Amino acid sequence: MQRQQHVQIKKPPVTGNLINMKHSGFLPAIILVVITICASCYYDNEELLYPSIGKSCETNNITFSTTITAILSNSCLSCHSNTTAATSGNNIRLQNYSDVKARAAAISGAVNHTGTYSPMPKNGGKINPCSIIQFDLWVSNGTPDN
Amino acid sequence: MKRLSTVVAFLLISGTIFAQNDLLDLLNEETQPEIEFANATFKSTRIMNGHSIERMPSGQLDFRISHRFGRINSGAYEFFGLDQANIRLGLEYGILDWLMAGIGRGTYEKTIDGFLKFTVLRQSSGARSMPVSVSVLSSAAINSLKWADPDRTNYFSSRLSYVHQVLIAPKIISSISLPLSPSFVHRNLVATELDPNDLWSLGAGGRVKITKRVSFNAEYYYLFNPKTYMGQQVLNPLSVGFDIETGGHVFQLIFTNSIAMIEKGFISETTGSWGKGDIHFGFNISRVFSFKK
Repeated sequence: MQRQQHVQIKKPPVTGNLINMKHSGFLPAIILVVITICASCYYDNEELLYPSIGKSCETNNITFSTTITAILSNSCLSCHSNTTAATSGNNIRLQNYSDVKARAAAISGAVNHTGTYSPMPKNGGKINPCSIIQFDLWVSNGTPDN
Repeated sequence: MKRLSTVVAFLLISGTIFAQNDLLDLLNEETQPEIEFANATFKSTRIMNGHSIERMPSGQLDFRISHRFGRINSGAYEFFGLDQANIRLGLEYGILDWLMAGIGRGTYEKTIDGFLKFTVLRQSSGARSMPVSVSVLSSAAINSLKWADPDRTNYFSSRLSYVHQVLIAPKIISSISLPLSPSFVHRNLVATELDPNDLWSLGAGGRVKITKRVSFNAEYYYLFNPKTYMGQQVLNPLSVGFDIETGGHVFQLIFTNSIAMIEKGFISETTGSWGKGDIHFGFNISRVFSFKK
């Protein structure tokens, strides 16, 4: 995918009524603004940049050791690992297979934002739809330890 | 003035001629027409979530602690949202009399943000009449969350977003002001082809003084091309609350449907609905330290 870079040069603000304007301070300020604005401006979207997204969500070979562990470590373990759960994860551990299996229904409810369980993750929207589909499939497969 | 005239008259009479020129100069300076600037259109640099036209005077550092809690409709078990705290810490400094800069770090998407704010016009009366105050805000934010998929080719630019605002604020009478802020949000990476990278919006606010130390503030952004965020419809952010000024601090108590505290977040990623009770309680605390000799 060809990435397009758009360089936008913003005009410095109108300075007609500035008080105590010193030329020496004004020039660096303009340079700062131009850098801030033009540093890197892209018009990307995930569908075009990563064509695999949206076209296919792997639903056949879902295993705990690869698929589910990856989802958990990306989205859950910063609060719910064995070491962090006591302080930031309300003592809910999601690192070992047995813990995840025991809480499978609750995790599904939390990431789907169904309302029965406290919606997860905190501080943001849902995790990506493919991960939720994969987790729910793993649950409906009978939470295998594979 | 009267006293000066008396002094001048006295000096003239007593024949002290060498001082005469200095004092007449002083008199001339005093009688020159003056420009009266409208001051303190807002109590702090924020209306509620968004920036007001105010900036820190040069040499003053504003330490800001802001919180937004979870949704009030999450119920008593979550203590109406207060169990889930989002914080932003900010350091904002007045470099020149017309320029301020700030940096901050927020919980929401683990974002580091920075901004520059320019005072372009100042509302004044007297010798120069200017009906409005105008400031320009340019800000950039870096989302520092771990990549959703570490295996794909991830670009640093995808973390960046920019917001530019023109803040226009006429203070109508001493107790009421009605600011407008046309805003432009640019996000380098969006989820789908249908989502706009560039988002245009118009912010409107209001401030009504209730007592000398308390005012009622409200703020609303109308989005011209809203789309979805994380699979949910993006809604227009509405915030209402109070400014409470104590000695040295400004407290702002806020009710809003947005959890983010920076422009990129609350303008382009608000998914809470006031009608459904997705309201977040929050506050801003501003403490100013002076570094000017």
